[in-house]
Amino acid sequence: MFRRNLLFLEPKRGGPRKLSHVRRNAANMSDLRHTGGHIDMRRTFGLNGASSRPTGVEWALPLFLALACTDPQGGVERGAMTISKETQASWVRNFNPLVAPGLSRWPTTCGIYEPLLVFNVVREAYEPWLATSWTWSNDHLTLRFALREGVRWSDGATFDAEDVVFTFDLLREHKALDLKAVAGFVADVRAEGPNTVVFEFQRPFVPGLAFLAQQPIVPEHVFRTVKDPVTYTNPDPVATGPFTEVRVFRDQLFVLGRNRDYWQPGKPQLDALRFPAYPANDQANLALIQGEVDWGGNFVPAIDRIFVERDPEHHHYWFPLVGNMAMLYANTTHPALRHVAVRKALSRGLDRDLIVEVALYGYTKPADATGLSDAYASWKNPAIAASDDWTRHDHAAAAAALDALGYRMGARGLRSTPEGEPFALELDVIMGWSDWIRAAQVVASQLHELGIDVRVQTYDYAAWFDRMQRGDFDLAIGWTVKGPTPYVYYRGLMAGAELRPLGERAQSNWQRFQDERTDELLTEFERTDDRQEQGRLGDELQRRFVMLAPAIPLFPNPPWGTNSTRRVTGFPNAEHPYAMLSPNDYTQPLLVLTQLRPQDVP
Amino acid sequence: MRFVLRRLGFYVLAAWVAVTLNFLLPRIMPGDPASAMFARFQGQLQPEAVAALRETFGFTDASLAEQYWTYLVHMFHGDLGISIAYFPSPVVEVIGTGLFWTLVLAGSSLVVSFALGTLLGVLAAWHRTSAFGRLLPPLLLFVGAFPYFWLAMLALWLFGFTLGAFPLRHAYGEFVEPGWTLEFLASAIRHAILPATTIVLATMGNWLLRMRNNMTAVLGEDYIAFACAKGLPAGRILFHYAARNAMLPSMTGFGMALGLVVSGSLLTEIIFAYPGQGYLLIQAVRSQDFPLMQGVFLTITLAVLVANWLVDLAYVWLDPRMRSSG
Repeated sequence: MFRRNLLFLEPKRGGPRKLSHVRRNAANMSDLRHTGGHIDMRRTFGLNGASSRPTGVEWALPLFLALACTDPQGGVERGAMTISKETQASWVRNFNPLVAPGLSRWPTTCGIYEPLLVFNVVREAYEPWLATSWTWSNDHLTLRFALREGVRWSDGATFDAEDVVFTFDLLREHKALDLKAVAGFVADVRAEGPNTVVFEFQRPFVPGLAFLAQQPIVPEHVFRTVKDPVTYTNPDPVATGPFTEVRVFRDQLFVLGRNRDYWQPGKPQLDALRFPAYPANDQANLALIQGEVDWGGNFVPAIDRIFVERDPEHHHYWFPLVGNMAMLYANTTHPALRHVAVRKALSRGLDRDLIVEVALYGYTKPADATGLSDAYASWKNPAIAASDDWTRHDHAAAAAALDALGYRMGARGLRSTPEGEPFALELDVIMGWSDWIRAAQVVASQLHELGIDVRVQTYDYAAWFDRMQRGDFDLAIGWTVKGPTPYVYYRGLMAGAELRPLGERAQSNWQRFQDERTDELLTEFERTDDRQEQGRLGDELQRRFVMLAPAIPLFPNPPWGTNSTRRVTGFPNAEHPYAMLSPNDYTQPLLVLTQLRPQDVP
Repeated sequence: MRFVLRRLGFYVLAAWVAVTLNFLLPRIMPGDPASAMFARFQGQLQPEAVAALRETFGFTDASLAEQYWTYLVHMFHGDLGISIAYFPSPVVEVIGTGLFWTLVLAGSSLVVSFALGTLLGVLAAWHRTSAFGRLLPPLLLFVGAFPYFWLAMLALWLFGFTLGAFPLRHAYGEFVEPGWTLEFLASAIRHAILPATTIVLATMGNWLLRMRNNMTAVLGEDYIAFACAKGLPAGRILFHYAARNAMLPSMTGFGMALGLVVSGSLLTEIIFAYPGQGYLLIQAVRSQDFPLMQGVFLTITLAVLVANWLVDLAYVWLDPRMRSSG
């Protein structure tokens, strides 16, 4: 849209009059200078009748410049949507839905291939997808999925239960593909007729539903001949999703075309998805505010001012707080931080309103004592959340608590431990994650006011994660695990089963928390699919969390989602919250991709 | 000839040292690629995925010596392994995507910058008392002293974003099919102008200053005075007598810079979203992608060595003393 035949500078005034002047005098350099560099293309290429004959260099230079400054004025075709989701300098062609999502191009698992069910975090419910329903046996050892009939792969073959069985057999055969450790709880998978799949469990493990239901399903007739499904790049996917045709694939751009025989009649209404490669957030944001991007999942600073105000009619964002919780982890093996009272005192010393304002431009809100974000709105018990106030800022109470615990204030405004050592902690955060670094700086300065000598240390994420897993930290800001129920969330924070000795790598529970009652509750949770019973257990887990403060919740991370309705419409927003807007997920964007339509379609 | 061969021997030794360091350095870094990959998802993957990723990338428990031997053998076969950040693409392929554009952009802007800077340096030394000779060097140094990213972002904002005269990103237009067509070449040139100009502006001052200083010294030599006394034309004295000698130190710098071209220009690539080696390198380091890191370092090492060797050859040509002293 900004590609005009304009060189370097605009003429100061009166463009048209001077342009005609150029026409008369052909491409003569002195005139070019005179008109501020406008070149008349027709004249330059001799398309407009005879011209006075330029000589030598005088003729070549304008031609060269004109060449350099015209780009084919191709436009984005109607019904195509431009998406900015992955930041990559150049694209690598990989549409294998079985490998970790970052290795294959988005939306391989949520637009090309599809799962049995899609968990909608906004509605807190499963949406039937390739499966229409599921039932548990009474002993919770058998899970049955009824599959949708009439679904076809994009090559015309029929989708049936054998494809599902084949997919899970692949996972159990190749540990590298088993991203959710399905082999750890599934004993057997078999088809009962073409439209029913049965999973036999090794032990009752109801939360396993989430892991099975959201696995992208691959076609048996294609993947059967693949020698190594781990390194297979699947350049031309055969799939069931709404966008299955790779129309263009270049290092800077790829385009996916719609599946003409998609099983949802009349959908998708968009014709194509375009993915230009943006190597970093800044470039993606530049394209976003230019109006080139229709749907984005990048962080945008001061979004109202720099994005919405440029075009309030079309530019929108929606950050429902259904992301995961940003957590201040306190290592419970640390001699001071192992005391619940110390952790709560630290938490009381934090002004989360200020943290949210400084670190996240006010995009989110402070966490409460249950540590649950809005992703678990129907689970959160407000009475339990209000039963303790250790996430509320209260400097005096925090100071008094530390005094009472023997952390005496010394000279220079710094405390010492009851053993007489200086009370100093290191706060580890990931290099380059600027929102968390700002949060860490505010945390450090507020704890400093409390008399604790906290030093912020940034590490590259591999190094940071290595320290977290080995438990080699005092304090750290990190993420939490997400799941459809609080089970997965609390398991990651508190489960004894995840506990590893210091120095050994722990998958989660990095802060080495242990509580027997919590472990019992988690085991009970694995054995029931009754929502009421689950609710009761969820309440109990919240109570344990509020009582024991296994980690210090700061704020829910908003899932970044921006869109422009100039070309495409039908995005979710606060008025139509049918799904989350953010494309940063590996199943839920299916919900949005099937609802979007070109602006001129009612 | 003996000189050339001796240098060649030295370069083989240097290559071996670099290749070995290449192997050792990444292995000293903390963390592992599976964790790095997992951390990028910020909790969107279940914790179980770490184990699966570790399995995917196939970690070896072989001893360092064994790994070193396999590494050397594979390298001689041109097999640089499989990239982890761009799994499962072979490293050679990944480097191929960036190398061409890096050579185009960084290579051409280096040549332009060196040629222009050196020429202006010669002229600035000759006319050192005129306004041209007094003002140009400080002006260019001033421009070159701006932080590069600032200069580049200013150019991008002014010419790309505000005026819309140049594209904001990429090496060629989105609607252009790559190939040896006029349309593609025009698009590629158009996309290279802004990034190349910023690089030239930022680096030209150094070449100019270096050349001017050398020239000033050489112009004070007796043989120049003698040449003037013989009544030789100014142009001949300037270019055949003075510049040829004064250029030798600049050539060394040029050789170094030429070799480093393949390391890419990280900031340019990031600001203008231009594909290239610099971004690959940072991506490799952040993902703990040992094979890709080794591949990129190897190309840089080899390029620096080859470029230096070429400069040595150029010395022989420029400086007759080299030929005899051997």
